[in-house]
Amino acid sequence: MTERNTTAPPIQIRDLHKYFGELEVLRGIDFDVQAGEVVCLIGPSGSGKSTLLRCVNKLEEPTAGTVLIEGIDITDPETDVDSVRTRIGMVFQQFNLFPHLTVLRNLRIAQRRVLGRATDEATRIAEEMLARVGLSEKINEHPSRLSGGQQQRVAIARALCMNPDMMLFDEPTSALDPELIGEVLDVMRELADDGMTMLVVTHEMTFALQVADRVVFMDGGVIVEQGPPEQVLRNPEHDRTKKFLRAIEVE
Amino acid sequence: MKRSTRQKVIRYSLYGILILVVLGFALFANWESIGRSFFNLEIARDMFPEVITIAARNTIMYTALAFAFGLVLALALALMKLSTIKPYRWLAITYIELFRGLPALVTIIFVAFAIPIAFPGVSIPGGALGQGTIGLGIVAAAYMAETIRAGIEAVPRGQMEAARSLGMSWGKAMTYIVLPQAFRIIVPPLTNELVLLIKDTSLFFVLGTTPATKELTKFGRDLMNSKFNGTPLIVIAMVYLAITLPLTYLVARLEKRTAAAR
Repeated sequence: MTERNTTAPPIQIRDLHKYFGELEVLRGIDFDVQAGEVVCLIGPSGSGKSTLLRCVNKLEEPTAGTVLIEGIDITDPETDVDSVRTRIGMVFQQFNLFPHLTVLRNLRIAQRRVLGRATDEATRIAEEMLARVGLSEKINEHPSRLSGGQQQRVAIARALCMNPDMMLFDEPTSALDPELIGEVLDVMRELADDGMTMLVVTHEMTFALQVADRVVFMDGGVIVEQGPPEQVLRNPEHDRTKKFLRAIEVE
Repeated sequence: MKRSTRQKVIRYSLYGILILVVLGFALFANWESIGRSFFNLEIARDMFPEVITIAARNTIMYTALAFAFGLVLALALALMKLSTIKPYRWLAITYIELFRGLPALVTIIFVAFAIPIAFPGVSIPGGALGQGTIGLGIVAAAYMAETIRAGIEAVPRGQMEAARSLGMSWGKAMTYIVLPQAFRIIVPPLTNELVLLIKDTSLFFVLGTTPATKELTKFGRDLMNSKFNGTPLIVIAMVYLAITLPLTYLVARLEKRTAAAR
C-alpha cells in the first residue's frame, strides 16, 4: 500500500476540500511541492492558506481529497500519521515552545520519546541544531527568558532535531516585534540555501521575492495564481492578486 | 444631620452594643463550668499520645488513600470528559453530576454498608473503613475531575499541536507536554480539595471502628461520651486546625506564586 517513496514529491495535494461547519475554507486545491523547493503561500487573512498548511501534517483533517507525503496518503485512516509527522517539521506563529522545559529538553523530548534516541545522542543533535540557529549559549534557559525571535529560532531548531525532509512555516514572523523578524528570516534563508524543502505561509514579501522558488497566491479557498516570485509579485495576472499586493504595500 | 455624621453615630452605637454583649457574657457566664466542660486539662492530657499516634494518624492515612484513589479516578474522568468520543463524555458527565449532587455521607454509607448487603461475597479490604475511604475517593474524584479538566483546558492548544507535529501520539503529548503544565496550574485548587477531604474523613464516625482505626472525630466523640465532657472535642478541633491551617496557608502562597509567574 504505502511505503515511503523518496522519489515521490514531498507534498502532493489533490482536490482538497475543508469545511469548518458550513463554511468551506478550502474549495478544491491541487498543489505539489518538489524536493528542495521553497514555496511561499500568500493571500489575505481567511483565504485558507494556514488551513492548507495544517492539512499537510493533518493538524486539520481534510474533509475531502488526498494529501500524499512522499507518496504516502495521510488521509487514509490506516496510515500512521505520527510517523509521517516526524518527517515534517512545523514552525508556528506563536512558537509553541514547551514552557515547562529548558531549551535543551525542548529539543530533546521528541527525539527521546518518539525516535527513541539515547540521551547522549539526542543532546549532541540538540547542541548541533542550536548552534545552527546561533543560540548555543541559551541551552539551559527556559523559553520565557528568551526574546520572541530567539524563541522562534529555538522552535526551528526543535523541528530540525527530528531530521525532517521538509519544513512547514505558519506565519513564523507575524507575532514578532519588527526588529526581531530579521534574525528568524536569516535562519530560514540559510535553511533554504541548504536545500530544505519548505512551505511558508508569510506576509514577508521581500523574503518571498528573495528566497522562494515559487509564490502561490490564495484567495477565498482557492489558488488564484502561482509562479516565480518575480512574476507573481511584480506582474500578477489576476486582479485579485493585484488588489492584495496593493493593499499590503499601503500598510 | 450630615451623611458622614450619621454614619459615625451608627458605627459607634454598634460598637456600644457589641461591648455590652461581651461584657454581659463575661459577667453572667459561669466561667468555672465552661472551664470544666471544655478546657479540662486533665482530660486533655490523658488524650495524648493516642490522639496523635492513632486518631490523627488514621485521619491523615484515610485522607491520603482517598486522595490518591480519587486523583487517579479524576484524571481518567477528566480525560473522558475532554474526549471526542461522545459515550465517554456522557459517562464522565453523569458520574460527575451524580456524585457532586449527592451528600458525601450517602455515598460513603452506600459503599460501606449497602454494597456488602447487596453482594455478600464481595469484600473490599480494610473493612468498613476501607470501604469508607473508597466511598470518599469516589466523591472526591467527581470534584477533582472538574479541576483537572479546567487545568488541561488552560494549557494553550498550541502545546498539543506542537507536540503532535513532532510526531508524538496523543497519549505521549498528554503525558509529557500537557499534563505537566496542567498540574502546575491546579496545584492550589487540588490542595484545597485535600483540605476539604481531611475534614470529610470526619464522616467516617458513622462507620464501625475498633480502637485502632478511629479517626479524629470518632476518637473525640467517643471520649466526650465516656467522660461526659466537651474537652476532647476542643482538643481534636485544635489537631484538625494544626493540619489544615498550614495547608490553607500553603495554598495562598502557591496561588500568589502562580499569579506572579503569569
